[in-house]
Amino acid sequence: MTITFTNVLPTPLAATNHSEASIWENNVVFDAQKKGLLNASSGKGKSTFTGIVCGIRSDFSGTVYFDQQAITTLNTDDWTTIRREKIAVVFQDLQLFPDLTVQENLLIKNKLTDFKTETEIKQLVQTLGIEQKWTTPSGLLSMGQQQRVAIIRALCQPFSWLVMDEPFSHLDEENKRLCLDCIVAASNEQQAGFILTSLDDDKRFQYDYELKL
Amino acid sequence: MLQKTFFKQQDRVQLSIAFIGALLGLTFLITSIHYLIKVNEFGRGNEILGPNTLIIQKKIVASNAFNLSKTDFNQREIETLRANECIAAVEPIISNNFDVSLQTNSPVVPYFRTDVFLQTVNPTFIDIPAQKWTWKKGDAYVPLIMPRDFLVMLNTFMSAKNIPTVSDEIAQSIPFEFTLKNGDDKVKMNVRIIGFTNEISSLLVPESFMKWANQQFGKSDEQKINQLMLAGKENQFGLVETLLKEKHLESKNAQVLVGRLKSMVGTFIWIILCVSILAVFLSGLVLIQYLQLLINKNNYEIKTLIRLGYHPKKLVNTFVSYFFKVFGGIAVMSIVLFNSVKFVLDAAFNKGGVYIDSSFTYLSYLAIVIAYVIFTLASLISAKKHIYNAEKG
Repeated sequence: MTITFTNVLPTPLAATNHSEASIWENNVVFDAQKKGLLNASSGKGKSTFTGIVCGIRSDFSGTVYFDQQAITTLNTDDWTTIRREKIAVVFQDLQLFPDLTVQENLLIKNKLTDFKTETEIKQLVQTLGIEQKWTTPSGLLSMGQQQRVAIIRALCQPFSWLVMDEPFSHLDEENKRLCLDCIVAASNEQQAGFILTSLDDDKRFQYDYELKL
Repeated sequence: MLQKTFFKQQDRVQLSIAFIGALLGLTFLITSIHYLIKVNEFGRGNEILGPNTLIIQKKIVASNAFNLSKTDFNQREIETLRANECIAAVEPIISNNFDVSLQTNSPVVPYFRTDVFLQTVNPTFIDIPAQKWTWKKGDAYVPLIMPRDFLVMLNTFMSAKNIPTVSDEIAQSIPFEFTLKNGDDKVKMNVRIIGFTNEISSLLVPESFMKWANQQFGKSDEQKINQLMLAGKENQFGLVETLLKEKHLESKNAQVLVGRLKSMVGTFIWIILCVSILAVFLSGLVLIQYLQLLINKNNYEIKTLIRLGYHPKKLVNTFVSYFFKVFGGIAVMSIVLFNSVKFVLDAAFNKGGVYIDSSFTYLSYLAIVIAYVIFTLASLISAKKHIYNAEKG
């Protein structure tokens, strides 16, 4: 699935001057299966970008297309299917359920498509070093641990795109590398692309392209 | 897991209060509907006259004896009565305008003969199947409704003759005969008793027979209407009674008393019914408000689940099915409570000598179904509105 931004400008950013390299008010095509980095400082619209792509925000001018279809024409049923099967997201605020355990937070997503077995999910949890937190409510985890849960949760579904909004902001270098390895492996396995927004130039991976806001 | 997400942290105090309120309201509602029906049915079937029906006549005062005031009704007076709000129907009682006698007509029953007075009333006032209460020329017998006092008198006569007395059922199998005459013109007709009444003191015959007999054997002088059949509207018997007083009319005390009691109890139950409806409405409102509160409290969870790929419809169903169970619990418990209350009340009525039919009334159960449907529909609409709004937000 190709994502195309045509002269998109979020309303809250209308008064801001954007550089020529910015994706705002430009024509940008996110080709399928490509892995990109969206690099910008705070307040430039990284979370707004994530919100627009996953259909949470509609306060923008211009047009966003999934393949040939403008996303403004998508209805609730379409968005439900896209969120289940096409676009996986790691939100900046993670959007975990604090009262549910790590296990429940992951299974509540996996239950939608039965994409992974519980053993596969446990393996991922183990790989990212939070296996001892399996039955702990996510509200009791550190931010770094919560980020890893949110990343695993995003991988518990089929996807064409994985959109991640500053997913490593609370992780140390070793855990960033582990997470990125899992993300790249899952994307390759599903022949999917990903977009990772970040505050800085991320040199841990050879991205297909790097965009600015 | 969705249940745990949405309902684990809820404050159940408000839910419990609304639950108890709705339970009591619904129980009172079905109990009052049940007893309202039973009170209105009270006495029905025991008598041939329909419910809330009276035979009225003008009060006899001293001046009547000197022909200074009239005891009969004219058409204008009947129309004036009919025009009253509390009156369902008024019809004249037609009497015989010919000489008629009744006698036994069987070799096994001792001969008994007496001059009688016949009356007929509009069939709409009589609680007897139409096919039994009909007559046409050539029929084998004339159906007759006999005052029970007449049977008592007959039994007294039989007892005096050392003949066994007869029950209602046996009396209905004894052949009788009318002798109708006008001067030398005379005809005999077979008669069969089809029922008894405590309310009317004359022998009742079908309207068609009376018309025919009055035409064939009637005297030439104009027939007067001295009595009227009057049906009051349900629960308005107090107004009927006031009207009778105003118009200087009278009826049998027992008829008025039963009507007055039914009217009073009916009005009282109506008040309970209205309060119950209000209680059910208010508690339903609290339950729906609780649902909205629960949805608002779970706003973050709802938004997140939708962002993860849960269809809003699935979330609506989760909330609504929870409240379906709550409403279902209320409905089932109210049925149990109602049956317990009914058992106690019926026993109390029986103990007091008031024999109210203890069968179930479909309308009271229908009220539960209606309340359940309204509750669930309201919760469905409310949940849909709030969850789809959360999706947009």
